[in-house]
Amino acid sequence: MCDACGCHTNDDATEKIVEVHQSLLAANLEQAQKNRQHIEAMGAVAINMISSPGSGKTTLLEHTIDYIGDKFRIGVIEGDIETERDANRIRAKGIPVVQLTTGGACHLDAPLVHKGLHALEKQSKDGTFDLIFIENVGNLVCPASFDLGEHNRIILLSVPEGSDKPAKYPTTFNGAQALIITKTDLLSYFDFSVEEAVREALHLNPDLAVVELSATQGLGMEAWTAYLDDVLVNR
Amino acid sequence: MHELSLAQGLIDQLKELAGAHKATRIMTVRVNIGTMAGIVVDSFVFGFNAVKTETNCVREAQLKITEVDGDDLILAQVIME
Repeated sequence: MCDACGCHTNDDATEKIVEVHQSLLAANLEQAQKNRQHIEAMGAVAINMISSPGSGKTTLLEHTIDYIGDKFRIGVIEGDIETERDANRIRAKGIPVVQLTTGGACHLDAPLVHKGLHALEKQSKDGTFDLIFIENVGNLVCPASFDLGEHNRIILLSVPEGSDKPAKYPTTFNGAQALIITKTDLLSYFDFSVEEAVREALHLNPDLAVVELSATQGLGMEAWTAYLDDVLVNR
Repeated sequence: MHELSLAQGLIDQLKELAGAHKATRIMTVRVNIGTMAGIVVDSFVFGFNAVKTETNCVREAQLKITEVDGDDLILAQVIME
């Protein structure tokens, strides 16, 4: 029908039926596969770090750099809604880092990480790394649905958050390779049952590796670096 | 899931299709949503109808959802002119 006068003069002209049959979920997965190949071409293993805000992802990275920054070539991709604060902390450690700010999205996705990988490459002399940490936006829900191209996905759960979280967020814990319980120096101040958290997480995902640590107090860091050694050896 | 960003992704795809087929208006969009896809249909439709108004060629598009088995979200068919 004509918008101007309501007549039907041009009705039969141009209607077209297009059969499409395309997945709308496939787009992120395709880019994630490309990211994975890109990371491999950089000689690296990428680890996607997922947790609630404030669980200690950046702090763990800072201390990890202290422990193994001389042994392995580390690169970091930081994801936040706003600010470059986390990237600044990593940069202060002398490590190549890129900050991705989503401006609103509550998770990183493969297309954003693709840009991050290209930016990170430029910060290394020959474009290669051993370990790339992708610190996701602080959020225990949404990041779980988005493959970024990582080889390993780890979930941080800090003692103050409570040991019931694996049961309450099954998709998140199910899709991971490791559970890192952080801030274990605070166990005496909270009702956190390590046994409950580990039992419920393993119930969802029997292959989950578990590490308990306190980055600031230097507890469990050997187990953590041993886990990273393992990931690198088994790449 | 992320119904609004999925709806935005659908609209981006519709704009591309309209361009490729030299169409000025998308009239009907048929989408199949898997029951295991973790997508809340109402939220997806709501998001689509909210975002479509920002783009001329998609503004009048009617979204028709069919629930199917499986865990995917498929753009099945588009009627345009």
